[in-house]
Amino acid sequence: MTTDTLHEHPAGADVPVDPPARKGNPWLPSFHGVGLMTRIELRRRRPSTKGYVLYGILFAIVIAICLAAAIFTPPQLSSTNFEIVLIMVLGVGMLIAPSLSATSINGDSGEGVLAPLQMSHLTAGDIAMGKLLASWTVSVFALVALSPFLIYTFLSSGWTVVEMLTTIGAILLVVLAFTAVGLAWSSIAARAVASVALAHLTTGFFLIGTLIAFGVSTLLFTEEATQRDRYIDWETLAPEAEEALNEAYMTGDFSALDPDDYQCVESEWAYTIAHTEHVAWILLTNPAVMITETAPIVDPETWEEDGRAAPGLFANIHSMVSDARLGPDDELDDYIAYDECAQLFQEAEASEMSEEELEAMWAEDENRWIERQQELANLERAPWLGLSVAGVLLVGSMWIVIRRLRVPYKKLRTGTRVA
Amino acid sequence: MTLTQDAPVRTDAITVEGVSRSFGSVKAVEDATLTVPRGHVTALIGPNGCGKTTLMLMLSGLLRPDAGEIAIAGHDPRTDAAAVRAEIGWMPDQLGSWDNLTCLQTLTLMGEAYRIPRATARARGMALLHRVHLEEFADRPARVLSRGQKQRLSLARALVHDPAVLLLDEPANGLDPRSRVELRDLVREFAAEGRAVLVSSHVLAELDEMVDDAVFMSKGRTMGEHAAAMVADARLKYRVDALDPAALQEALSRGGVEFEPTATGAITRIADEANAAQALAWLIRQGVQVHRFGPAGSALEQTYMAMNEERR
Repeated sequence: MTTDTLHEHPAGADVPVDPPARKGNPWLPSFHGVGLMTRIELRRRRPSTKGYVLYGILFAIVIAICLAAAIFTPPQLSSTNFEIVLIMVLGVGMLIAPSLSATSINGDSGEGVLAPLQMSHLTAGDIAMGKLLASWTVSVFALVALSPFLIYTFLSSGWTVVEMLTTIGAILLVVLAFTAVGLAWSSIAARAVASVALAHLTTGFFLIGTLIAFGVSTLLFTEEATQRDRYIDWETLAPEAEEALNEAYMTGDFSALDPDDYQCVESEWAYTIAHTEHVAWILLTNPAVMITETAPIVDPETWEEDGRAAPGLFANIHSMVSDARLGPDDELDDYIAYDECAQLFQEAEASEMSEEELEAMWAEDENRWIERQQELANLERAPWLGLSVAGVLLVGSMWIVIRRLRVPYKKLRTGTRVA
Repeated sequence: MTLTQDAPVRTDAITVEGVSRSFGSVKAVEDATLTVPRGHVTALIGPNGCGKTTLMLMLSGLLRPDAGEIAIAGHDPRTDAAAVRAEIGWMPDQLGSWDNLTCLQTLTLMGEAYRIPRATARARGMALLHRVHLEEFADRPARVLSRGQKQRLSLARALVHDPAVLLLDEPANGLDPRSRVELRDLVREFAAEGRAVLVSSHVLAELDEMVDDAVFMSKGRTMGEHAAAMVADARLKYRVDALDPAALQEALSRGGVEFEPTATGAITRIADEANAAQALAWLIRQGVQVHRFGPAGSALEQTYMAMNEERR
């Protein structure tokens, strides 16, 4: 620019600028660019008064739930309240951040504010990452807003600080991944309505759809087992014999019955054993399951000595997931065949089992059950698959977004203009 | 008038050679060729949907041409988009503003997006707001601006990084008459500062006084020499009205002057202003009672109407 403009415009004296020269067609994000883009997004998406009211109502509800959780904290250690607050953080993050990001690109393009940014020295990577971080930051605000409850309930949860930070980190990663998914939809769909719906559908698929998929696919891995029962054939009974049997059932005294009067029949029936161990990985892709899998292991027998709270929500979910991962336990799930004839006519033999023997048998059963519970609770945590899913969603979505933001465009979203 | 040039010269800020672009089966731009030298204002004129905006998007490096060559200050937008962006200031036809941010914040952030330090960007933003007469809105959110004010903010935004090339897509849309005159002066100033300006507009009378050259587009093609000749011819046309049109036409016939008769007089071609003065003196000497004598309206408008190729 020539210097004479300085004299021509005394009121708006020209300020010379000298932006650095750049070459090529860069797309990688840079610190400066991402930071600037995040700042722009956070500033311009500051909620309006109505927005603040809406957020206020939302937070009032969340805080009410957290307050209830805090008030009803029993004097002894209990992790459930803390876990409820964590779920609130996850829920709020999963609802708000993808909604914001899902309107971020097609909304901007519709308003005509995207192209001027693409015309600047901000790269596609800068714009994509900046938008991602700005939407995600809102869910971090949710975390900060809930932090008093988080800390209060944490104190009686029996978790260590590192464990808390691990699980919060996992929650923030999941929210980040689904924010990226929302952003990807908004770079693909032309209209904001479509992209918001698709973003929430994707979230819903991973949160609920995987549970349904798990349930349905267990049907594919079922084993038919047969069970043989014996019972008295009532159809061939003589009327007197039937009466005598009814009488015996009423009184509980079977000694008067003559075994010869009664014919025993065998009946075979089939039942299914679900081999959930083959499909348990579907559960592990669920982001909510992944988060519970990052929670500390609580042994149902030794938690008191370990300084833990009694197994809470997350520990119980971990046990259920472990049950699915291990599959059916042959010893526990074995049916004991029912034999009516034997019960009626070999009563004498059964009653020969002494009191001690019975108790020992029961104790053995109980021990086996407890062992199984302990095995389930202590089964190694498996957040890795869920973490990989989140990672793939995050990286894949950002790859799509950056590709779609790179100019010059080769193709346009159908039904849109560039500017 | 430089509509086409065989060899691109180094002073040309924009050179476009046989550029085409289609969207699916729709050919938005079929064959566009034009050059804009530094310090010149060139108009891009054509009916709605003839491909003006598409061509501007390709120039700005937002849209990839299917074929043809584009050079902005010597850089190819396909391979060297960053260098092109540094050279180009683009004012889109769609008004977009960050409603929550003030005008000064908008310009400062845009400046920072061009890697200008914040303090400098802010100072330049303020200077630009003065230049487009929006200084009293510096600290007010962009949502309070009227359409014309947003248009001016958009113009200021295109200038934050001091670009050598300006693409103005319908800059006069929504401007009041006073702002249009100011815009015309601003555009002339931009050219005087050595920038190349390509401006598209429908307000042809406005362009007449603003531009050095004009490129006409129709159905995705630039019209080239033919249109240039028509504009040049239209610029020669003078309208002469006399109290007695028949006497005027008779005098012209006697003098061997070619003319087109009109209801109130005649339209004739006169090379330049000196000739025009002589012609008027001659007519009066012939006893013709001339009551109106002047250029026959907007040359661009006449050409536009004459081309008349596609009407919507």
